[in-house]
Amino acid sequence: MAGTIRAQYPTSLRTVLVPCTGRVGVDLVMRAFGRGADGVMIVG
Amino acid sequence: MLEADRHENIEILSYSEVTSVEGYIGNFRVKVKRKPRFVNENKCTGCGSCTEVCPVYVPNYFDENLSARKCIDIAFAQAVPAISDIERASCIECFACVDACDTEAIDFSQQEEILELEVGTIIVATGWDLYQGDDYGYGTYENVITQIQLERILAPNGPTFGHLKRPSDGKRPTKILFINCVGSRDLKTNEYCSVVCCNLSVKNSKLIMSEYPDSEILVSYIDMRCAGKMYEEYYRRARDAGILFIKGLVGKIEEDPLTKNLKVQLEPVGSDSIVEMEFHIVILSSASLPSMGTNEIASVMNIEKTPDGYLKEVHARLDPINTKVPGIYLAGSCQGQKSIDLAVSQAKGAASTANIPMKNEKYTMELIRAVPLDERCAKCYKCIEACPYTAISINENGLIQVDIISCRGCGICESLCPSKAIELAHYKDNQYVAYIDELLPIEE
Repeated sequence: MAGTIRAQYPTSLRTVLVPCTGRVGVDLVMRAFGRGADGVMIVG
Repeated sequence: MLEADRHENIEILSYSEVTSVEGYIGNFRVKVKRKPRFVNENKCTGCGSCTEVCPVYVPNYFDENLSARKCIDIAFAQAVPAISDIERASCIECFACVDACDTEAIDFSQQEEILELEVGTIIVATGWDLYQGDDYGYGTYENVITQIQLERILAPNGPTFGHLKRPSDGKRPTKILFINCVGSRDLKTNEYCSVVCCNLSVKNSKLIMSEYPDSEILVSYIDMRCAGKMYEEYYRRARDAGILFIKGLVGKIEEDPLTKNLKVQLEPVGSDSIVEMEFHIVILSSASLPSMGTNEIASVMNIEKTPDGYLKEVHARLDPINTKVPGIYLAGSCQGQKSIDLAVSQAKGAASTANIPMKNEKYTMELIRAVPLDERCAKCYKCIEACPYTAISINENGLIQVDIISCRGCGICESLCPSKAIELAHYKDNQYVAYIDELLPIEE
């Protein structure tokens, strides 16, 4: 999304491709937090 | 229509409703509710002798209730199939039609019928309906009518046989006002533009002007949107013919109780004064709405809608024909209001698109599908409730099974399963864990 509108985004951002936002469960979000992520954005 | 009706491969089921759609591309099972006409379709010849003897008059919905029709009548002159039907709500059951019918087609005992069909592909073409709000006194003032009512008045087979007459006294109006964008391009009603009304105003004002050159016609608009092949030229011809187009919306309309003329306050853009004028008739270019049954058809077919209420395509610009359900396609105004030329293009596109998998007898799908892991399943069946495509069902062992053709690989079932007993092929949990761990390394 940020790419298609040519927006700038921080280099510390990591993207994970999912087939659908429904695929993202609590466990995956918690895993990211557990590994030290400051925030998780689920974008569809 | 008649050509389609006579085609050996086309069967028309009019006065019917689709009540359920199951299965998948190539193997849809469709239930169609056939409403009772109280006339046997195989026996009725459309001769009209029942209509002649019927003593009950009801408003003619095809003429936008500007004229009357009999309680038993053919829906409209060009209806296909040309078969009478009875409006039972108004029928007094005098059975005069039963005696008049030579072919004994009238059957008051007819019941609703459910027809089951097996089809490969489906094209949805449910059209649109007219916005009928009380803006500008519509419904209260007799001489405030919609464009569709004007269409019927100007039609040779309409209530006035094509002669322009106004509803209150049947006299010919000479001062005519068209108001565009009624109920659309307005955040209070519908945000969207109804696309066709600008050209409809141009067409109808031009028609009136060529028939009655002494008319004074004014069209008030927000923006004239006559985009498309030859439409701008058409708009120019209308201006050349002496029709006045004024940018600015009407503020208030009041009816003169004696003459039934309409006093209109208009605020032209660019002038700081309000103009007061009197008109004999006011024609509203009312917005188009998704047709009445759109919500039902969307839930029956499991297709989505856009925020404006029309049916949703895969991509508004790049893929306007396919829906998210493989094998179901859209044509015409059910996908968004459009002019006739675009509706014809889309319909032809939908017909060809539907024919490709039918002719090939093959359908290619992705392999991203949910896979149940039986030994882990706790039989809570949360996945069945959550699946938006009704792809999950219970098999004879009480375990879940996935219909891999209906499944669209969204993964909601996997993210929700408490015992991790269902996984999405190629998008498994352990893949994501490895993915996240690699992206977020823990520094020692």
